[in-house]
Amino acid sequence: MSDTETRPTRSRREERRLARQYARQQGAWYPRWFWPSFAAPAILWMVVFFAASFYVILSVAFGTEDFFRNPLPVFQPWWWDFGTLTEQLHKIFGGVYQTVYLRTFAYVAIASVLCLLIGYPIAYFVARYGGRRKALFLVLLIMPFWISYLMRMFAWSSLLEVDGYVNDLLTFLNVLSKPYGWLEGKGITVVLGLVYGYVPYLILPLYGQLDRIDTSLLEAGRDLGASPARTFWRVTLPLSKPGILAGLIIVTLPMFGDYYTNNLLSQSPRTTMIGNLIDFTYANTGLAAQGASLVLTVAVLLIVPMVWYLRYTAKAAEAK
Amino acid sequence: MSQPREHLLRRRGPTSQLSRRQFLRASAGAALAVPTLSSILAACTKPGTEGTGGTGANGGAYPLARPDNPVTLPLHDDIPAIADNLPIEKGATLQIFNWVDYMWKKVISDFCEEFNVDYEWTTFNNMSEAIQKMNSGQVADVFFPTPDQMSKLTYGKLLQPLNHSYLPNLEANMWPTFQNPFYDQGWRYTVPYVTYSTGVAYRRDVVSDDEASAQGWDLIWNPTYKGKVGIYDDSRETLAMAMLRKGWTDLNTGDQGAIDQAEQDLAELVDLVDVRTTINGVYAKLPDGVYDVHQAWSGDIIGAQWYLNDLDTPGTTDVLGYWFPEDNQGPIFNDCITIPASAEHPVLAHAFLNFMLDEKHAFDNFTWNGYQPPLTSMDADALIQSNLGQYAPNTGPGSVPPSLPLAVVRKEMFAGGDFLFLGELSAEDEMKWQTAYQDFLAGA
Amino acid sequence: MSTVARPAAPPAARPWGPIRWFKNPWRKPRVLESITWLYLAWSILPVTIAIAFSFNAGRSRSSWQGFSLRWWTQDPFDALFRSPILRAAIFQSFRLAVLTTLVAVPIGALFAIGLDRWRGRPATAANFSVLMAFVVPEIILGLALFLSFRNLIKFIPLGTVGQVIGLVTWQISYAVIIVRARMLSIGRDYEEAAMDLGASPTGAIRRVLLPLLTPALFASAAIVFADSIDDFVTVRYLSAGASSEPLSVKIYNSARASPTPAVNAAATFMLVSTFTVIALGFLAYRFATRGQRREGAVKEFVAY
Repeated sequence: MSDTETRPTRSRREERRLARQYARQQGAWYPRWFWPSFAAPAILWMVVFFAASFYVILSVAFGTEDFFRNPLPVFQPWWWDFGTLTEQLHKIFGGVYQTVYLRTFAYVAIASVLCLLIGYPIAYFVARYGGRRKALFLVLLIMPFWISYLMRMFAWSSLLEVDGYVNDLLTFLNVLSKPYGWLEGKGITVVLGLVYGYVPYLILPLYGQLDRIDTSLLEAGRDLGASPARTFWRVTLPLSKPGILAGLIIVTLPMFGDYYTNNLLSQSPRTTMIGNLIDFTYANTGLAAQGASLVLTVAVLLIVPMVWYLRYTAKAAEAK
Repeated sequence: MSQPREHLLRRRGPTSQLSRRQFLRASAGAALAVPTLSSILAACTKPGTEGTGGTGANGGAYPLARPDNPVTLPLHDDIPAIADNLPIEKGATLQIFNWVDYMWKKVISDFCEEFNVDYEWTTFNNMSEAIQKMNSGQVADVFFPTPDQMSKLTYGKLLQPLNHSYLPNLEANMWPTFQNPFYDQGWRYTVPYVTYSTGVAYRRDVVSDDEASAQGWDLIWNPTYKGKVGIYDDSRETLAMAMLRKGWTDLNTGDQGAIDQAEQDLAELVDLVDVRTTINGVYAKLPDGVYDVHQAWSGDIIGAQWYLNDLDTPGTTDVLGYWFPEDNQGPIFNDCITIPASAEHPVLAHAFLNFMLDEKHAFDNFTWNGYQPPLTSMDADALIQSNLGQYAPNTGPGSVPPSLPLAVVRKEMFAGGDFLFLGELSAEDEMKWQTAYQDFLAGA
Repeated sequence: MSTVARPAAPPAARPWGPIRWFKNPWRKPRVLESITWLYLAWSILPVTIAIAFSFNAGRSRSSWQGFSLRWWTQDPFDALFRSPILRAAIFQSFRLAVLTTLVAVPIGALFAIGLDRWRGRPATAANFSVLMAFVVPEIILGLALFLSFRNLIKFIPLGTVGQVIGLVTWQISYAVIIVRARMLSIGRDYEEAAMDLGASPTGAIRRVLLPLLTPALFASAAIVFADSIDDFVTVRYLSAGASSEPLSVKIYNSARASPTPAVNAAATFMLVSTFTVIALGFLAYRFATRGQRREGAVKEFVAY
C-alpha cells in the first residue's frame, strides 16, 4: 500500500526550496530581507554621516582644544570632560543665557502660531476652492522655495528702512503717525521675518492634507444641519490635524536654530537667539566646545517633540 | 486561497505603539554610533596632552609680541624658504585666501596680465574659520592674516618664511617705522598690507566736528543718536573702545576687573542707544543715513565715499566725518600678507607680494578699498584731496575726502613704540574677552 | 371664518444684502480668495523688487538710480557674467544641486518604499533618524559634519564631495517624506494584483510601483534640487576653497560685507535657472507619461 511506504526524506534545504517555489507560484512571497534591503542604503548613510557626526558633537562638547585653540574631539568616553557643558548649563539656567533661551522660545511660539493663522486660510482656499486654477496657485506657493532665503530677507531689509516703502505705505494709510525703526533691533521685526521665511513650509503639508479630505464628509456635515462655522470646527479642523502637526513640526523645530534672520534684520543684542550664540562660537577660536554643548541642549529640546510626533503618526497610521 | 497569505500576516512585527524601550532605543539611535575609525584605538593618553605643547598658559608655547618685547619668529627645518632665482611658475593659478572684498579685482587682474597667470579667490569671514580651513588642508598661495595670530601661525607651522631676494620693494618702499615690526623681526614671514586706525565715524550733517572732538568715544554712548548707533561685531574692538573711554589703555590686558567693567559699559548701550553690531555698517549704511554714529576703521570711512550717490557733485563727501584721539590714544595696527606653507606656487606668491608693495599698485588698491598701505610715497597730506572737482578714481594724487583728515594714518603714529594696538593674547585672556563679549551679545 | 388668529407673517426677508450673502453656503469664497492673493503678493512682491534692483545703475540696493545692465554684464570686475569668481560659483551651485539630487532621491525613495512595508524596531529608529535630519537646524548638522570630516572620517575630503554628502544627509528626508506620503495613498493592491498575475516581487516593484510613484519622484527631485541650490549654511562649513564655494555662499559672504546689486543679479539668475530646470523636469515628466495623460497633470506633479 502506498500509505505505508515511507516517503524519501528531504533535506531541509530542499524543503525550503520547494516551499519557495510553491510560494512564488502563488505569487506572494517576500524574503525576509526584501523590504529592509530597500531601506539599507539610507540607513547606512544615516548611521555613517548623521549618527556619527552626532557622536562627534558629543566628542567636541566633552573634548578639548589643540594648539591653535581649534576643537579637538575626544572619542573615548572615559576621557570626556563635562566641565564646559556644566558651565553652559549654569549659564542657561539662571545665568546670562536664560534670557536668550526664553526669548527664542517666545519668538518661535509666536511665529509658529502666526504661520498657522496665516497659512491655514491659504491652504484651505487652494485645496477646496482652487478649481482649475489650483496648478497656478501651487506654482505660486512653491515659488518661495526656489528663491534664496537670503534674497527674501534682503528684499525685506531694504523695504523696512526708515525711509523704505513699508514706512511710506503705513504712514500714508495713517496706521503709523511717524516712520518706525523696524530694523533698529526690534523683536517684532525678527518674529515677522521668521514668519515670512517659514510660512511656505507650513502651507504645503497643510495643503496636502486638506486636499485629501473627502468633500463628501464636509457636505454630510452641512446636510446634517451644521452651520459653516460648526462644520469647520467639528469636521474640517479635526480632519486636518495631521497636516497641521506636520506643518508645525517642519516650521517650529528649525526655527530654534535660526540665526541669520536675526543677523539680517536686527543685529542687536536685544534680539539674540540660540542660533546666534552657536554661530558666535563658530566664528571665534577656542569656543567650539561651548558651541557643541549648546547644540546638545538644542538637540535635547528637539528630541521630545520629535518623539511625540513619531508616536502620534504611528498611532494614526495604525488607526487607519 | 488565503493560505499563502498567512505568512504575511505572521510576519507583521510588534505593534507600532512605542514602548518605553523603543523610546529609549530610538532616541539613543540618533545619538550614538560606535566610532570605528582612527582615533578610538589611537590614544590611551588623554588627547591634547601630547603634540605641540598644548594651549600654552600665559603664552608659554608661543611668545606674545609686544613693542617692548619684540619677537623673532622661529624658522622650522621642515619648512624651508625657497631658493633664490627660481623662475616663476608658468600657467599657474594664484590661490588667494583673503577676507571678502579686501582687494580690488583690477589690481589682481593687472598682476595676472603682467605674469600671464590666472587667479582664484577663497574668502573667510573670520580668522578662526581661516585657521581651521588651513589646518584642514586648504591650499593657498597668499594669505592675509592679522598680526595678532602671527606667533600661533608660525609656531603651528602654517606659514613659510620669505626669501627677501624676491622682494626688493619691501625695503625700498616701506615706512621706516615698519622696517622691523615687533611681531615679526626681520620680516621673516610677513610683509605689511595696509594700516588702519580705529575711531568713530559720524555724519557731519548730524554731528559737527567740534561736537565730535568734544565727545570723542562718548559719541557712541550719547542717547541723542538713539537708534542710529553702531559698533563692530568684534569682541576685541568693542571692549577695547569701552576701556579707552574710561581711560584704561592696556588693550591686551587680562585683568578681569577691567574686562568686566568694559562689558558693563557696553551692556548699557543696548537700552541707551539701541546699539546694533555690524561689520559693514560704516561704508554700506552710514552714507545712506542708517547710522549717524558708528565705530569705524579708518579705511572703512574712506571707502564709504564710494557708496554715496551723486559723487559728481562737489561737496558730497563732506557728510562723512571721522574722529580719532589727538594724543594718539586709540588703536592702530596693520594687516599682513603671508605665504602659507602649503603654497603650490611660492615663486609666484613672492612676485605677488612684491607687486603689492609697488607704489602704483598699492595706491590703486587704496583708491578702491580705502585702506592705506604704509609706503613712503604715500605722503599723508598729499593723500587728502585738495579739491574734489570731478570724481574720478585713479587720477590725481589723493582720494581721501577733505572732511576726513584724521582718517589718514601717519607714520609718526607708529614711532616710539608706545602706540595702542590689539595684539596677541594668551588662551586664557582670549577666553575672558570672548566670554565678556558673549555676555554682552546675550543681551542680559 | 376668520376667527382663527393667523400668526403675523414674518417680515419679508430681503432677497439680497450683506448678511444673506454671507450666509449663502454656495457663494464664491471671495474673502478667502482675497486673503490668498494678498498673501501671494506679500510673499512674492519683495522678491520682485529685489529682482528689479539688480538692474540698478548705481551701487545702491534700495534707491533707484536708473536702469542698466551694469551688474549683469557691463561692470568689468563685479558683473555677474564677467567675474570669474561668480562664474565658477554658478557652476559649483549646479554641480552640487545635480549631484545631490541624483544621490538623495534614489536613496530616499528606496527608503520610503522599504519603510512603508517593513515593521519593527529598527524601522522606527531609522524613521526617527531620517526625520531628525530634517528638523535638526542646519548649522548643527553642518558643524557636526565638518568636525567629522576633519577628525573622524578623514578619508573624505572637504570640498565638493563633502558638500554633496552634507547636502544629501539633509535632503534625504525631503525625498522620504514626499514618497512616503504618496505610498500611503497608493496602497498594496496593484502590486499584489501584479504578483497574482505572476510577477516576481522585484518585477512588481519595477513595473507597477515605480511608475505609480513617478510624480512623487519628480516632485522630490524638484524640491531637492531647488533646496540644494540655495543652501548656504551646510556648504559653507564644508567648502574647501574658492572652487567649491557655490553662489549661495558668495551671496551670503558679500551680503554681510559690501553688497552690490550684483548680489541681486546672482540671486535672480539662480531663481530663473531653478525655474527653468523645474519647468524642464515637468515637461520631461509629461513626455514620459504621454501615453497616460490625465487631467490635472500639474496638480499631480506637485501633489504630495
